[in-house]
Amino acid sequence: MAKHTHPFHMVDQSPWPLTGALSALTLTMGLIKWFHKMNPNLLMLAMFITLVTMIQWWRDIIRESTFQGNHTSIVMSGLRWGMILFIVSEILFFASFFWAFFHSSLSPSIELGSSWPPSGISPFNPFQIPLLNTAILLSSGVTITWAHHSIMENNHPQSLQALFLTIILGLYFTSLQAWEYWEAPFSIADSAYGTTFFVATGFHGLHVIIGTSFLSICFIRLMFFHFSPNHHFGFEAAAWYWHFVDVVWLFLFISIYWWGS
Amino acid sequence: MASLALRKVISQVPRNVLYLSTRSLSKNLVDTFSMEHATGLEKKEMMAKAAGNENPFDMRVYKRGPGTKTDPNIIPSAYEERLIGCICEEDATCINWMWLEKGDPKRCECGYWFKLVDAKPL
Repeated sequence: MAKHTHPFHMVDQSPWPLTGALSALTLTMGLIKWFHKMNPNLLMLAMFITLVTMIQWWRDIIRESTFQGNHTSIVMSGLRWGMILFIVSEILFFASFFWAFFHSSLSPSIELGSSWPPSGISPFNPFQIPLLNTAILLSSGVTITWAHHSIMENNHPQSLQALFLTIILGLYFTSLQAWEYWEAPFSIADSAYGTTFFVATGFHGLHVIIGTSFLSICFIRLMFFHFSPNHHFGFEAAAWYWHFVDVVWLFLFISIYWWGS
Repeated sequence: MASLALRKVISQVPRNVLYLSTRSLSKNLVDTFSMEHATGLEKKEMMAKAAGNENPFDMRVYKRGPGTKTDPNIIPSAYEERLIGCICEEDATCINWMWLEKGDPKRCECGYWFKLVDAKPL
């Protein structure tokens, strides 16, 4: 029997960092092949390796935490700091897109007709679908808090309902964004407006999809009773991430959709 | 999985969506539920804390006692040796580290004595 003389989690050897590195290399090569040769097969292989790595690695972490009890309070503290630093890095990632947007829009160059939106661009009306999307994401912030409090109160049925609603709102947001992209009268190749618009909102949309997947995994774990009233960090991390995505949307809505139109 | 998820949600709706939950669990009950749910080292830590041991992994800095040869500072360890650090003077800016083995007490270069004794692992 192992001696438990310290609270840290000494992880076992794992192949997943190696397959993760392999998937990252294959992903970059696959994208280049796709862009230059119009051939997606290497990219598809890369997506497959990435998906398999994610599933197996996170499955191992669920086993280590929920079923082996390796996540002591000090291990949880490390995970919290990890998630905080990750979200800070994401904030800086989005800061660069806002920088690009304000760089182009605050003193529009002569090529843009010295105006913003540039001449020839007809932007979306911010008070139609974008405002609805704002309401959807703000509501999802309410439902996820409802889910969190239900978990802390050991109210399993309500936590399932509230988390389910949150995921549905996330999917609703994604479909509305997809619809609006489909309907857009400008493309990513239409001046600095199209570029900054689609890069910023596109990466935000990708983050909503990632957040929805994160919440869906939490929903499945909730169904299998993996969360206890004072130990449910997987859910908390997903909720932090979801709030971050929500706040980024508020900035996108106010500056790019509203002020920028 | 999707149909399982949907069935799970729908089956819960009629019973629970109609009333508002205003009752909040007591701290005691939350701790009981969480401890029943936990396992392994996490559970051992929770049980030690519930039993009043706020320092189950022996992570705190010890306040030095007299530390003479006959009355050395007692250091617990589950192993045969332990790496210890002595803050020799109150305003010292460095820690003096040394290995302490089970058996005779050992002296830090500043003059304080230490002795390693058996401790039970958690």
